[in-house]
Amino acid sequence: MHIGIDVGGTHTDAVLISGDDILASTKALTSADIVTGVVNALTTILTDGVVSGTQIDAIMIGTTQFTNAVVERRELSEVAAIRIGLPSGEGLPPMVDWPADIKAAVGNHAYMIKGGYLYDNWPLAQFDEAEINDVLHDIKRKGLTNISIASAFSPMNPEPELFLAEKVKAVIPEAKITLSHNIGRLGILERENASILNTALLDFADRVVDAFGMAINKLGIQCPVFISQNDGTLMNASYVKKFPALTFASGPTNSLRGAFKLSGVANAIVVDIGGTTSDIGVLQNGFPRESSAIVDIGGIRTNFRMPDINAIGLGGGSMVTPDGLQIGPQSVGHRLVDDGLVFGGDILTATDLIVAAGGAEIGDKTKLQQLSKEVVASGIKTINQMLDRGIDMMKLNSEPVPVILVGGGAVLVSGDLKSASQVLRPKHAEVANAIGASIAKISGESEKMVSYQNIPRDKAIEEVKQEAFKRAIAAGASEVSLEMVDIEETAIPYMDGACTKLRIKVMGDVKALASTTHNKIEEASS
Amino acid sequence: MNLDESHLEDLALGAVFLATGGGGDPYVSKLLTALAFKKYGPVNLIEVSELSDDAHVVTIGGVGAPTVGLELLPSQNESFEALLAYEKHTGRKVDALVSFEIGGGNSLIPIMAALAKGIPVVDGDGMGRALPEAQMMTYAICGACPTPAVALDYEGNATLFSTKDTHTFERHIRGLTQASGGMMLSIDHPMTGAFLKKAIIPGTVSFSVKLGALLRENRGSAEQLLSPLQALFKDSVYGECRLLYTGKVTDKHNSVVGGFDVGEVTIASFEEQTPPMSICIKNEYLIAKLDGKVVASVPDLIVIVEYETSSPINAERLRYGQRLAVFAIGCPEFYRTPEALKAVSPRCFGFDLDYVPLEAI
Repeated sequence: MHIGIDVGGTHTDAVLISGDDILASTKALTSADIVTGVVNALTTILTDGVVSGTQIDAIMIGTTQFTNAVVERRELSEVAAIRIGLPSGEGLPPMVDWPADIKAAVGNHAYMIKGGYLYDNWPLAQFDEAEINDVLHDIKRKGLTNISIASAFSPMNPEPELFLAEKVKAVIPEAKITLSHNIGRLGILERENASILNTALLDFADRVVDAFGMAINKLGIQCPVFISQNDGTLMNASYVKKFPALTFASGPTNSLRGAFKLSGVANAIVVDIGGTTSDIGVLQNGFPRESSAIVDIGGIRTNFRMPDINAIGLGGGSMVTPDGLQIGPQSVGHRLVDDGLVFGGDILTATDLIVAAGGAEIGDKTKLQQLSKEVVASGIKTINQMLDRGIDMMKLNSEPVPVILVGGGAVLVSGDLKSASQVLRPKHAEVANAIGASIAKISGESEKMVSYQNIPRDKAIEEVKQEAFKRAIAAGASEVSLEMVDIEETAIPYMDGACTKLRIKVMGDVKALASTTHNKIEEASS
Repeated sequence: MNLDESHLEDLALGAVFLATGGGGDPYVSKLLTALAFKKYGPVNLIEVSELSDDAHVVTIGGVGAPTVGLELLPSQNESFEALLAYEKHTGRKVDALVSFEIGGGNSLIPIMAALAKGIPVVDGDGMGRALPEAQMMTYAICGACPTPAVALDYEGNATLFSTKDTHTFERHIRGLTQASGGMMLSIDHPMTGAFLKKAIIPGTVSFSVKLGALLRENRGSAEQLLSPLQALFKDSVYGECRLLYTGKVTDKHNSVVGGFDVGEVTIASFEEQTPPMSICIKNEYLIAKLDGKVVASVPDLIVIVEYETSSPINAERLRYGQRLAVFAIGCPEFYRTPEALKAVSPRCFGFDLDYVPLEAI
């Protein structure tokens, strides 16, 4: 038996799952201390499910706490950001393109030193011991203990980052360090940004993860705790203390994964309809299709992997023109319960159309008597056309695909969609995120620039795969269940010698659910 | 005209559009150029007619692999240092700078160097787009000798070239670049003002600013963009502009051949009956085929944009499942002469077909 929790900015949702059965689910408010909200949600589902805490084998948590911290510029620690790579990049210090408010929030302590390697492993520059000492003593003098280290080409050769980390520990033994090669891909500015954000979140991560542990401990649950990351896979709680930034955008991912679990359909389009937008994503073999664009988090460029989402301005609160031909993108949002016609307001919304058409029973239907049948009919048609178009844009061919509807606005869809082979409205769709978290697997990923003239392709793939395996095991995967799920090869233009960027992703089962011995987690025991 | 920081976003956006898939991401160049504008103020962008006939003009830009540029960042002063190295090793004083190619980050490098040196940049370039090799530049096609030329690496190491022709220069500088970290700055093809007046594609820098502004103001679907885009291109050195296709990427493969990124992308239409489109890539988008029939080819411009926003997409960023629109734009007349086609026709890229101008398809 295991539990999925989604700790959002407003709501904390939880589901109790046994095998494939949902035994209980709840939606509670997120509390300021996080602990109370989680305790409340857990208490409800344990009581409803008539289950004791000792029967729980694992808890999976999805949370937007870290994304929100970056977006709202709160709970961030000051960071010393060191880049290894001079003389290249002179004049482009770490955080050079960050918005001023978040740069200030992390203290804007940027350092650049000589060192690193080129793409062909020729030294970019030699380390300068005196320069390193000056930087480290300046950091110590400022009392900074959260340190980010990024070196040019470190995904190919992390040695300079590892070397400097040892130097840092010698001078500042209590340092909390993020090395960029552990968190990002090629593209030093984006990888360094991810590393700095991660470092700024380390103290908050300690607090949040401890809060989860405390909440779980209070209820006498002793089992492994996992937290979901942006690709729909899990990290163990102690790993999140080192890499909180890997939770960015786990929200949409969990919604897609939850839709998969609720419907049992692995290849489908998922439409998550909220108050303002409909987020359309694609499930491929049960996982979200990823976007390839540069991802901006709180105004900062990063290269995290995120699901490909087509957000269209159609939700339950979307405003409708009097003829019913134009809907959205303006929405009354959370004021729907005051401004919508069915709630006694004076703004025609998408929800009013559906209630008038008999598609849902919300508010007071008698308030819609002024609405003509023609307007309602054309409005309903417009809604379906907007969704059909949005869905068609996400499809890979013209064949109709199953469409899974989740989210509070799912009632907007009446009847069938032209773009869909079938429209699925699974039960429990309102807690899809928590369910998504509860079924996550554990992944590992590794990337390297290789020349197939120097190393045969098979051998290169094997090497990179082994590194990805190591990362997955470190994140809590069972070794025997690991398999390779993706190989990406990118040839490097202008470089002879078959120079290729090779990226491999592996995935496996949660070790705690696969094995019979459940180790007590450190958060719960401390 | 004076070009300042307020023009930078639009210039860079227009330059990515004109890069036809190549040229790399100008993001870092843009950051450095913004710093240069802050430090030095606006740059003097002059029309080629303003140059005196005996002015000494050189072309400057980056040579190398865009992917390497993701890690080996440029430095604030390196374009200026390259210019100083050129003057030192050739003994010549430079009066004005001009771009290799308007497409991508190379549109900004002359501006950074000119700002630091306090000299003008000529409004125009040697391609009107981006193309992968130096002998495809209008300057070379018109017969400019590529050297004396100076290349500078990230450490400030300078190399002086004295080379008989642009083909040989191209081969030599590629070799040197691979041994210098994968990315270099080159100052080459020294020309007189009189020569440049015949050899330049004029007005492309200011055009790129206008194009970027238009893309910014008309951010939205490709269909909505088409009509304002056609109006802008009609009154320029380019002329024809067509929306060729809209659809999703269903396949992309690429490999390195002879130091270039060679591949093909297949796009399936949003409409059920329309056959898929394939586009051949050699750093840039070169040939567009619909159902096996060529519908646009180099040197005409093939531009791929994100469908919903009309933001141009570089070839290295194309991925399975992306939603795209494909535009084709007529090349400047210069490239349609028999002399120019010897350097830039589809055959120069290894395709067994003759160039047919967009308007004749």
